[in-house]
Amino acid sequence: MNRRSPLADKRILVVEDEYFIARDLERALQAADAIVVGPVATLEQGLDLAESQTLDAAVLDVDLAGERAFEIADRLSARDVPWAFLTGYDEWALPAPYRSASIVAKPFQPDRIIRAIGALIPDKGCA
Amino acid sequence: MTELTSLQGQTPLSAPPLGPLPHDSHVLAGINRILQEALRASTEEELGQLCLAVAEDLTGAAFSFFGERGGSDDRLDHIAISERGWAAYTGNDPHFVKRELPGGMKIHGIFGQVILQDRSMIVNDPANHPDRVGTPDGHPALRNFLGVPLRRDGETFAMFALGNHPTGFTERERAIAEELAPAIVQALLRKRAEVASRASQRRLLSLIEGIPQLVWTATQGGHWTWASPQWVEMTGLSVEQSLGHGWLAAVHPDDRDAARRFWEGAGERGNLAMEGRLRHVQTGRYRWFKTRATPVRDDHGTIVEWFGTSTDIDALRRLRERQETLVAELQHRVRNILTIIRSIFTRTVDSGGPIDEIADHFRGRLDSLARTQLVATQSRSGRVDLENLIRDELLGVGAIEDDRLSIQGPDVSLPADTAETMGLAIHELTTNALKYGALRHPAGRLSIAWAIELKSNSKCELIVKWDETGVPAMPVPPVRHGFGTELIREALPYGLGARTRLEFRGGGVLCVITIPWIADDAAPLNRSTEG
Repeated sequence: MNRRSPLADKRILVVEDEYFIARDLERALQAADAIVVGPVATLEQGLDLAESQTLDAAVLDVDLAGERAFEIADRLSARDVPWAFLTGYDEWALPAPYRSASIVAKPFQPDRIIRAIGALIPDKGCA
Repeated sequence: MTELTSLQGQTPLSAPPLGPLPHDSHVLAGINRILQEALRASTEEELGQLCLAVAEDLTGAAFSFFGERGGSDDRLDHIAISERGWAAYTGNDPHFVKRELPGGMKIHGIFGQVILQDRSMIVNDPANHPDRVGTPDGHPALRNFLGVPLRRDGETFAMFALGNHPTGFTERERAIAEELAPAIVQALLRKRAEVASRASQRRLLSLIEGIPQLVWTATQGGHWTWASPQWVEMTGLSVEQSLGHGWLAAVHPDDRDAARRFWEGAGERGNLAMEGRLRHVQTGRYRWFKTRATPVRDDHGTIVEWFGTSTDIDALRRLRERQETLVAELQHRVRNILTIIRSIFTRTVDSGGPIDEIADHFRGRLDSLARTQLVATQSRSGRVDLENLIRDELLGVGAIEDDRLSIQGPDVSLPADTAETMGLAIHELTTNALKYGALRHPAGRLSIAWAIELKSNSKCELIVKWDETGVPAMPVPPVRHGFGTELIREALPYGLGARTRLEFRGGGVLCVITIPWIADDAAPLNRSTEG
């Protein structure tokens, strides 16, 4: 009997500019039965998907080839889509409004990401 | 008294009576003159000359001097020689001609007795006086002498002496001179105190105005009462404009609340400190200042005013911010590269094979990343030269440039992130060529060429072409499903927006990587023939 993954069939946006990291995230999410939206590497693509797609949560790399992903986070918050930062920056290095955000530190282990995203999504399942 | 009476021609100090009372209106007028004009004198010498002129006028002496014990106590320094004294000088000693006051005179002779015996003295027959030492060349002949000691706290520290009364000095002149003595002492000391106080004020002021801080004073609640020239220069607000709460006009609007709060609770706390921005009038820019205020208390410990300084810490703050940025960037880069290495490791292991081979592959990829990192961090711009990137990779595996290997292209420097992936791609192509391709077979040739082309839409592209020929056809091209293939076909397009072409043809590998290129003026351009 397999317990159903909390991320099963959830649509998770992945924005990460490093190919290998993006693919690792994709694999980890797919292994947890999530549906990966993306992954995409740029701010522009990320903004586009954040507005056009149906989403349950998002993982955002803070630094996207020199651009910051904060705008994507703001758009997602406006749509009530929970998100987590994946970053090598410490909290103090982030602008004040984002310091209390959910942050997964690089380098990461796949199950930590899954747990962090699982925590973002409200549990609607039966006990 | 016996030794005193033995001095010839001299009236003992204690000798009564004093004759006509010196407290006549002339003497009082003289004392008034000394005390009133003393502070107006610009120098001690001028003050001394005034005192001597009064003494000469009242006693009828022809000339006089005013001297003080020097630092070593056994020497006398002149404070002044009277105007009549200078006029009577007939010698040609250049110092006296220039009216330079003699200093460090030995305390001896007739005048010396006034100090040594600590009493006033009349000598009406100086030529026969036992202590006589004579007068300097050019000094008028001394016919008679009246010397009076000057005392401070009961101690003789100075004297003045009068010379050549037409008929000789009497007790009357002595009484007048003794009456003047305390006034002269008071005038001199008052003058000195005033000069010292002015010098100390000047020192304090030049200290306050010379330090790099902006200085001000305020009463309770931050009500300014004074501002230093530095404040006026920095903010462009005049002292009048800054008084009261006028100074707030120079404070950054966002810091004004904090500046007002700064003064709350100033009653209990001793010292106040805050950081805030002040507008620099010349540049219109706000600069960060650290402001401190220290209370000035009266004898009962009550705070009467506040003494404040504002120190420019703008450069320090910017340095601190820059340092924080650098540390954050460094952390970010280190953690990012570790994440990438972790990912590459997983992939290398996942592709399977004997452990030695996995280790070799991983080592090769790690070395490639390390080389690019090294070059990128060594250059100031953080960019990496493409030709060096390619040469380092090929040199690393022992390939030599001969007629079978050609590397050609203009100077192109890649941003660090592009160089990282490109370096890995070149590494994978090289490893493959060494194992199966042009670098393994004697008949194989490898040409690596690149160019920057201007497209018709005025955007530029960097095109790198890896072209192997003369390689015998392989049944199953091994790179096709591995890490290298994924890197070239997927990673390059993903992160860098590149278009890539990777073909395993008969004769060897053909790989063309086309990367969108932001042209800088230094990069040479080849106009696309399609344009």
